[in-house]
Amino acid sequence: MSAELRERIKSVIETEPVALFMKGTPQFVMCGNSERALRALRGSGAPVTAVDVLPDPEIRQELSALSGWPTIPQVFIGGELVGGADIVQELAETGQLEQKLNEALGESYRDDAEERVVSVLVPA
Amino acid sequence: MTAELESILREAFPEASEVRVTDRTGGGDHFLVEVTSPRFDGLPLLEQHRLVNEALAAPFASGRIHEMRIKTKGTA
Repeated sequence: MSAELRERIKSVIETEPVALFMKGTPQFVMCGNSERALRALRGSGAPVTAVDVLPDPEIRQELSALSGWPTIPQVFIGGELVGGADIVQELAETGQLEQKLNEALGESYRDDAEERVVSVLVPA
Repeated sequence: MTAELESILREAFPEASEVRVTDRTGGGDHFLVEVTSPRFDGLPLLEQHRLVNEALAAPFASGRIHEMRIKTKGTA
């Protein structure tokens, strides 16, 4: 069960250009820090793929075990951990977030930047 | 709690030029942690925050901290 969950989380991190693990969804954010991270990413025109960690506490455990990062939200760009809300916000304010997105996804990353939500839950 | 976190950080970062913990809401569980240290010079933000997270792993695991904002700076 948790091995499969971990694989699903890993696959989101590795295949999604920008993965945001958050509390809630972009449509219904359940935490101020997730909100800050989302806002920073939106402001930089990032194609955000969001994963809600709230449906199962195991998502959070497996994610932190994989990333070595203790808190939520967690932002990955091009498969690499960028950080939590404080880091992403600071990078956005200094223009470094756009630079990172350019480097990882190419200059045209804004062109079809749409927001989506995926689930990592393993069907019962 | 604020004083406790500050003393843990001072021990973990004895070289820091600034260590400040602020109770953001007055409720004793939302904190802003600020550390300025030469140890951060040249380190990516991710690694800077990682060091702070590691230093505060025990109080964080205790469940008494609901939210921790981190602000780190090098001295260079």
